[in-house]
Amino acid sequence: MIEVENLVKRYGNMTAVKGINFRVEPGEIVGLLGPNGAGKTTTMRMLTGFMPPTEGTIQICGFDVVEDSMSVRQRVGYMPERVPVYPDMTVEGYVTFWAKLRGVRDVRARVHAVLEQFQLLDRRKQLVRFLSKGLRQRLGLAQALVHQPPVIILDEPTIGIDPRQVIEVRDAVRSLREGHAVLFSSHILSEVEQVCDRVIIINHGQIVGEGTPETLSRQLAGRQQVFVVVEGGSDARISAFLRKIPDVVHVRAMDDGFLITTKSDVDLRPTLSRLITQEGFTIVEMRAVDASLEDVFLTLTETKQP
Amino acid sequence: MTGTPIIFRRELAAYFTSPVAYLIAAAFLVFTAITFNQDLAFAITVRPVDPALIPRVLTQLLIFIAPLLTMRLLAEENREGTLELLLTAPVSDASIVIGKYLAAWVYYTFLLALTLVYQIILVNIAFPDMSHTLGAYIGIWLYGGATLAVGLVFSALTESQVLAAFLGMIALLILYFADRIGQIVANIDLGLIIFQLTLQGHFIPTFAQGVIRAEDIVYYAGLIVVMLFVSIRLVESRRWR
Repeated sequence: MIEVENLVKRYGNMTAVKGINFRVEPGEIVGLLGPNGAGKTTTMRMLTGFMPPTEGTIQICGFDVVEDSMSVRQRVGYMPERVPVYPDMTVEGYVTFWAKLRGVRDVRARVHAVLEQFQLLDRRKQLVRFLSKGLRQRLGLAQALVHQPPVIILDEPTIGIDPRQVIEVRDAVRSLREGHAVLFSSHILSEVEQVCDRVIIINHGQIVGEGTPETLSRQLAGRQQVFVVVEGGSDARISAFLRKIPDVVHVRAMDDGFLITTKSDVDLRPTLSRLITQEGFTIVEMRAVDASLEDVFLTLTETKQP
Repeated sequence: MTGTPIIFRRELAAYFTSPVAYLIAAAFLVFTAITFNQDLAFAITVRPVDPALIPRVLTQLLIFIAPLLTMRLLAEENREGTLELLLTAPVSDASIVIGKYLAAWVYYTFLLALTLVYQIILVNIAFPDMSHTLGAYIGIWLYGGATLAVGLVFSALTESQVLAAFLGMIALLILYFADRIGQIVANIDLGLIIFQLTLQGHFIPTFAQGVIRAEDIVYYAGLIVVMLFVSIRLVESRRWR
């Protein structure tokens, strides 16, 4: 359904996307995960035909995004980040407008169907400007699905809405799996973990990890994580010291302590405690931590930090 | 061009639900009404009524009104992000721009039609030359179309409506008053050419006298085509940024 090959996007001499490859099959929900500025939105904009790629090809349902742009646009449902709306239109008018523009047959029936699907029927006469953020998000989904596209692309569908609404949107996304190829971006892990069949982790315009949430967690096998709370110096000093310890791969400062990822499967705790004490610091707490998808993500995307 | 009628209808509906458009319409009518009233007062003693009065006033009024009518068209879509959805819908960039432009022109036509009230009053109290009036109205209708096309270019250029309106007004002022440059040029032929390039050069000597000339129609139609072409290109360029 979605086939991306060697995709590159340059803005002037800044390269936002550096040669990425991936596929999304029908019936699959794939999460595009990465910190802000990783190239998620740029990738999605190229997939929808909003902007042409600098290099590489994108095929959607067998159509090339550049050569057959109109055929592709007909087959893609897109919800950009922070759903753009016409504030002075009614909910129904807004969805009807997009349905007509995308050449939907039997516009009224389709509009009614998607409004029902996203529980917007009782608000169809309301002006879009008066919708809450969560409702706006649902309106964005209704707009993206009104022409029954086989490929659905959602850019940060759960950003800026409250937890209850996040669950609604997440359920809505999950309900799309049947027959659709869904690609959705997020920088929130728990959500991707719950909704997606497969996760693509992207950072600095490159794919740094790919697989089911389980396989990604397994990538950390052989590594261990230790959480320590250390006193007796400034955070920066302690963190710099911890990084210098052999076999320590990564140190992340948390609110109350440090999360240390170690390379070997050797238990590093005795060594750590000895070295920390020798340096004149005091250990207040130390415990081993189970690796979660979040740790994979942070390890993969924070490697460039000093 | 399948998208044009759909874009056109949404845009026209937006004019009739927008408070700004009603304010512009009100200003338009108040200004023309005052002018008409003054002309009537003069007509009692000084000179006969001018059948092309309203179109003649509109040539200058449109310099300010046209950019206000078009400023929203593309700048707002750009700022709100709806342009991104439009550009990923299966419609061409040209059909989007043309649909929006036509909506602005039709709304202007509606405003222009409201000024026919003055002509109805006039017919009942005097003997105006109706064919003179008709020629001038056809002229100002085309002239309005050209000024709206110029305004649209600046709406495509920027995200800010205020800036779009401001730049549009400056461009129209230059297009209108460029003949002042023509007047200070020592060369008579060059001065004439400059005059022929200005908005008023194709209205005041001809349409305002009730004369319809092909070259004037070609000038305004040509201006519309060129400005629409530039606007379409500017919208396209959004894809590259």
